[in-house]
Amino acid sequence: MNLEANGLCFAYHTGKPVLKDISLAVQPDQILYVLGPNGCGKSTLLSCLSGIRKPDQGSILLDGIDLFSIAPEDRARKIGLIPQTHVPAFAYTVRDMVLMGRAPHLGLFDSPRRADYEIADQSLESVQLSHLRDRPYTELSGGERQLVMIARGLAQQCPIMLMDEPDAHLDPQNQHRVLELVAQLSGQGVSFVIASHSPNNALFYADRVLLMKDGASLAYGKVSDILTEPLLSTAYELDMAVIGDVDEGIPVPRAIVPRRPTYSRMEPDDIERLETNLAKVFADGQESPQLIIVTGQSGSGKSTWCKELSLRAKGIGLSIGGILSPAVFENGEKTGIDLINLADGSHRRLAGQRQGTSSGVTTPRWQFDEATLDWGNIILGNLPPTDLVIIDELGPLEFRRGMGLQNGLRVIDERAHPVMCVVVRPSLLSDARKRWPHGLVMDVSGKPGDGRK
Amino acid sequence: MTHKKAAPAAHLQTLAYIILLALPLLLMLVALTLGRYPISLSDVVRIFLSLVDRSFAVGISDTAYNLVVRVRLPRILVALLIGASLGITGAGFQGIFKNPLVDSNILGVTSGAGFGAALALLLSAEPWQVQISAFVFGLIAVALAFVGSRLYRTAPMIVLTLMGILIGSFFMSLTSLMKTIADPLDTLPAITFWLLGGLTGITWRDVPWLAVITLAGSFYLLLTRWRFNILSLGDEEATALGVNPNRLKIAMVVFSTLMTAAAVAAGGVIGWVGLVIPHAGRILVGPDHKRLLPASLSLGASFLLVIDNISRIALPGEVPLGVLTGLIGVPLLIILLFRNRTGWQ
Repeated sequence: MNLEANGLCFAYHTGKPVLKDISLAVQPDQILYVLGPNGCGKSTLLSCLSGIRKPDQGSILLDGIDLFSIAPEDRARKIGLIPQTHVPAFAYTVRDMVLMGRAPHLGLFDSPRRADYEIADQSLESVQLSHLRDRPYTELSGGERQLVMIARGLAQQCPIMLMDEPDAHLDPQNQHRVLELVAQLSGQGVSFVIASHSPNNALFYADRVLLMKDGASLAYGKVSDILTEPLLSTAYELDMAVIGDVDEGIPVPRAIVPRRPTYSRMEPDDIERLETNLAKVFADGQESPQLIIVTGQSGSGKSTWCKELSLRAKGIGLSIGGILSPAVFENGEKTGIDLINLADGSHRRLAGQRQGTSSGVTTPRWQFDEATLDWGNIILGNLPPTDLVIIDELGPLEFRRGMGLQNGLRVIDERAHPVMCVVVRPSLLSDARKRWPHGLVMDVSGKPGDGRK
Repeated sequence: MTHKKAAPAAHLQTLAYIILLALPLLLMLVALTLGRYPISLSDVVRIFLSLVDRSFAVGISDTAYNLVVRVRLPRILVALLIGASLGITGAGFQGIFKNPLVDSNILGVTSGAGFGAALALLLSAEPWQVQISAFVFGLIAVALAFVGSRLYRTAPMIVLTLMGILIGSFFMSLTSLMKTIADPLDTLPAITFWLLGGLTGITWRDVPWLAVITLAGSFYLLLTRWRFNILSLGDEEATALGVNPNRLKIAMVVFSTLMTAAAVAAGGVIGWVGLVIPHAGRILVGPDHKRLLPASLSLGASFLLVIDNISRIALPGEVPLGVLTGLIGVPLLIILLFRNRTGWQ
């Protein structure tokens, strides 16, 4: 039996679509995984496919016949829904729960007969839970409940089963038990649509994957085409890594894990080590862009660090672009900030101390020069391809107020350069990490503040 | 995972189920013998048989015959019918509302009927007029709650519950208003006693229509009883299992409302039966509605008959039924809740 959905749209409230143009097809003995972040519309999709909700637009076809033209009990003999494990209001026995799968096979005034009990018992045997037959369902563990729900689907005798997060709240052993059963049933011709938060289970068990984001289909197709780092990272807004082996020259993915941002403290010889690392990164020709987020207290030498990095990178023959914004000192007092174009060394005054600062207030107030900011944006907007890009620095103006060097944010968002280095103050570190979770954080505060060297 | 406690043995539940179903008939025979004028069980049986064959009545006094057939039997039948009605509708409502703490008054039928009766008594109506007024206002209350709930398109069940409670409170306020303007020497005691429930004035005339409504409603509920399991899973799961939850619920609510209104019209406001009986039923036969509904019907009938007999015989003067069901039902419910929590979570 084939289930096919074309261009499904659904909204609980007009103007707030939950499903936008979703299409999919499931053939017999296929397992389709629906992945996507919380609230992306997976459960709504399942409730449309099961006939509980009618989509506002689009069609759902069961062997070519419109799902909503089929009588409810006929439909329920073809498509079964295995909901997330829940606790019913009453403590039905396991057998009673499984027996409820017989509902679409019984008339309004019928109660289950001997044959129905036999089918229920066989279904329980298929999931190897016969020993729990007379036990209250409410006393079972989460894994056992999920298996009972599958048994109910078997008693329903439907060739298509929709499962809503069968792997939620289950320990690895129980997930294994449930999903191995799914794989086994799939081998016997049952097709499954499984909504899940586990890309790893999709990697192990799926034939096809639908990746959803904000109610829309981000990607749909074969496992190897969908479970890739760029697609998963986009879907989950998280830097995802696909880890695997290489088997006779063919990469075999084994696991999907998020990359943790590493957070390290700057030590005196770290620049040396970083330089070595950089050289190694470039030498290996690694494709994925690297981002270093440099942070540290005011005066801790962030700009100096970046300047040093640029010099040493040049020393090993790397091309460099971007900007530096070092402080300008007069008579030991910080009086302004320059903006330097790293490509050619040209510089302009970015900010000076605001005139008429009231005495007794020591915090410097900076007056930014709009023309220099425009100049900086032009530099950052026209960066030639280089090995290393340094952006010193992005402040509250850029992160919080949508002003200043907006092109700097864009350059890093686009990840167009192999290695990028961005400077932010500690108060903005969390903004930066949220925006670029893949970044490696360097805290240079450990060094004595010798910014005027 | 290990399970500390084994489930109650299935065959014990089956035995309890069979005994339960026969219980009302046994209690009825016993109840016929009880009263200020004792009549032996064999005489009661012979009086019954004499309805078929006159020769069995030989040696039985006219007093005994009249007491059994004309006085005790209608009252006992009405007690059985009302109890059955409250028990089975209580179990049904708990199933479709997925809530073991509701009974058939959840939609305001009892409060509406109470007002109808109070209004009729205030207007010094005949007893049969009081009954009809109670019955009609019971239906009006539920109809109002139902219409009110349709104003919202989403979450109809929770809104229906809310409307039921609101309409019920509204009619209770109206009843209180009736009481304040009633004659304190004559009408007020009548209203008060009616609201507390009782079967004192029951005659054969009350039996047929109560029996028809109760039996017809019970017949429908018993036919569809297994579907209550499905409904108790919630609307979405029921739909996924091919069941149309709304159609089934509306039919169930209509039958239950008719039954409850008829029961209240005949016997006044008798609380607690619809709440306590389904709990006792779950403990005895388990939560499966296939057995729970017949068991609640049987248990409700038996319970109310016993209570009415206590009211009729054991206590000096007649303690109102609604008072006794509360005095006995509430402690019973507390004991059941503490002793056995497996019937529901």
